[in-house]
Amino acid sequence: MPLAKQARKANSSPDKPSLIRELVEIADYIAHLRNEIAALRANELTRDRLPMAHEELGSVVAATAGATNSIMNTAEEILGLPDDKNYRATVEARMNDIFEACTFQDITGQRIAKVVEALHQLESRLSRFASAVKAKDKGGIDPEEVERRVRRELLILNGPQINGPAVAQDEIDALFA
Amino acid sequence: MALDLGMPILVVDDYQTMVRIIRNLLKQLGFEEVDDASDGTAALARLKNRKYGLVISDWNMEPMTGYELLRHVRADEALRTTPFIMVTAESKTENVIAAKKAGVNNYIVKPFNAATLKSKIEAVCGA
Repeated sequence: MPLAKQARKANSSPDKPSLIRELVEIADYIAHLRNEIAALRANELTRDRLPMAHEELGSVVAATAGATNSIMNTAEEILGLPDDKNYRATVEARMNDIFEACTFQDITGQRIAKVVEALHQLESRLSRFASAVKAKDKGGIDPEEVERRVRRELLILNGPQINGPAVAQDEIDALFA
Repeated sequence: MALDLGMPILVVDDYQTMVRIIRNLLKQLGFEEVDDASDGTAALARLKNRKYGLVISDWNMEPMTGYELLRHVRADEALRTTPFIMVTAESKTENVIAAKKAGVNNYIVKPFNAATLKSKIEAVCGA
């Protein structure tokens, strides 16, 4: 019989010392914690989902770089073509190379969707765990992160904005007029 | 004043595709003398060795950003008058204001097109 059940049985009468009641509560909490840790399925995340996300994103970067290079090679080739009777036919043939290069988007879209799904899973499991164990963030940020934040702040490194430029080119132009 | 198509231009960007895009756009505009550097440190080394008519720089690079490069250029007696255009995805007002205060001549937000690049070069280098 599990310890918590034994203790609960032993503690059925109200005159038992409160120490046993507290031990029962602790045992219950530990059992609850173990269930929540198991529900995190941390091994599955670190063994399957996160490596998959790394791999898929790596493939996306490689595919976009490959497609960009193909398109740029073709464009440069077109720019260097002699203006002769073959010009149109050659340009049309090179255009097909560009269309082919653009097919990367379908596959990368699917890869990114898998990564987004993995992140959703991670988010929901962590959120459930944090709420189940009433986790509170504690302690400072690690020194490397502090260093990165200070650099970002000092050098105004905001990065690209989610919905396009924060300030339109026209507004910037007005500042330089 | 017409643009000096023979002036050397330094393109600073850590993303080789962007260097290639800007290089091609400059070529289309008639500029043939284009060098590149992958960050501010490499750009400063190039600037010490050759007189450039224009610097076109990204902002977010490692180890030296374009913003730091701009400040170095403006603080250097020999380089301080070099025209400098920032071409970047950093599009917050604070970035634009900081760059202007540091002495940038013009500012282009990515993504941009050939016409925008051309108009800014003309605005900065004459025409």
